[in-house]
Amino acid sequence: MSELLYRSGEFALRFHHVLPPLMLAVAAGVILPRFLVRSSWTHRTPRLTLGLWGLLVLVVTASLSLAVMQLFFPVAESHQLSEAAQGCFLTSGRRCVDVMLNDLERPSARAWAGFAAAVCPPLALALAFARQVFDFRRRRARHAEVLGMVGHWRSELGATVLPHTTPAVYCLPGRAPQVVVSEGAVHALTGEQLAAALEHERAHIAGRHHLLAAAASAVGALSRRLPLARLVRDEVPLLLEMVADDRALRRCSRRALAVALYAVAAGQAPHAALAAGGPSALLRMRRILQPPTERPTVPGVALLVLTLAVGLPGLAAVCCSVPAPGM
Amino acid sequence: MTGGGGEQVRRLGGLEAEIMDRLWNWGRPATVREVVDDINRIRPVAYTTVMTVADILYRKGMLRREKTGRAWLYEALRSREEYTASLMQQVLGSTEDRQAALQRFVERMSPEDVSVLEAALRAAGHRPAGEVPPEKPS
Repeated sequence: MSELLYRSGEFALRFHHVLPPLMLAVAAGVILPRFLVRSSWTHRTPRLTLGLWGLLVLVVTASLSLAVMQLFFPVAESHQLSEAAQGCFLTSGRRCVDVMLNDLERPSARAWAGFAAAVCPPLALALAFARQVFDFRRRRARHAEVLGMVGHWRSELGATVLPHTTPAVYCLPGRAPQVVVSEGAVHALTGEQLAAALEHERAHIAGRHHLLAAAASAVGALSRRLPLARLVRDEVPLLLEMVADDRALRRCSRRALAVALYAVAAGQAPHAALAAGGPSALLRMRRILQPPTERPTVPGVALLVLTLAVGLPGLAAVCCSVPAPGM
Repeated sequence: MTGGGGEQVRRLGGLEAEIMDRLWNWGRPATVREVVDDINRIRPVAYTTVMTVADILYRKGMLRREKTGRAWLYEALRSREEYTASLMQQVLGSTEDRQAALQRFVERMSPEDVSVLEAALRAAGHRPAGEVPPEKPS
């Protein structure tokens, strides 16, 4: 009985160290994403929103790292970095190096296991990203090879023309980027509309959007259950399109871009047996047509996410998590 | 030198296109000699280079060949239109992976969704492309 009490007490002790990073992960991985995706301002400021999604991914990764690390750490060792930091402050930095060196002298095996576990979440993310990047690159290389044989470069368009009657405009980003239009698109669009569509694709290339698209795809592939992962996978491609629309609008009229969007979609529709994209094109269309009204203000939830991103991991690390084993 | 290597690869890629272009245009099997002679009307190219690239295309499964006498006769395995159609299929494909690998101007949509787009365009006072203005001064 006393054994059981002791065990549960120990569990609670350890749990209180896992709790802060875990709460942080839940906030950034479950609660905030739902707020963010429902907020109306996010599509007005797609760049800021992309940044916030990125921050949420970093916060979740970092806090999961801290949480799994805590699971491995011996409780007795868990307060020691904060003590070491305290020591640093108390001696106004004079004995700091001394303290740190002594503290990190002999980490226990469990502490090493904790460090190893902490590396896993960011490592999984990095590997998934690398896989997507290489996978996309392989697909594009295969596509570009055939394109080089059947397409022809039109310098007045600054694009490769694909001899096909269905309208299509797309780009092959990467190290040798190129914009591609089908003959169908050249016929269906006026000069101004075609220029708008090409400008949109050049914005993708200039902004290296393929890397962000690969990152979002990697995050989505890591987890199907986590709302953040699912929403990043769905929202980031749409936000990238909006960023490209905005950039294109610097050089073309709203009308030209909107009509081009419609004309290409309409020309493709009869061939689209399994079409899946309606709502996001409509969101873009409304956004392109709607003249800019008021300057968007930075909303509360953005500030909240920023605060979380900057403040809490630091707080979690300092007050109750990272140990300095072996003191 | 990597720069020179890259240049070499690009040049061979261009030659691949030149060879395929001729075989597609002729629409019949041809020897390396015929291809070399035709390219030589525009620019000098070595027989062995064309032979090597034709062999690469054969290995990639883009050409088939048969031996007649001492020379190989090469022929395109699939037509230009078939390759174009396969590219178009990748562009219009519905999987998200493809969408992310090739960044498309607009994703594929059903006719119903397109009509919603059209309604939004009209509501903003724009005419969809290719349509005759509704009122003309008579």
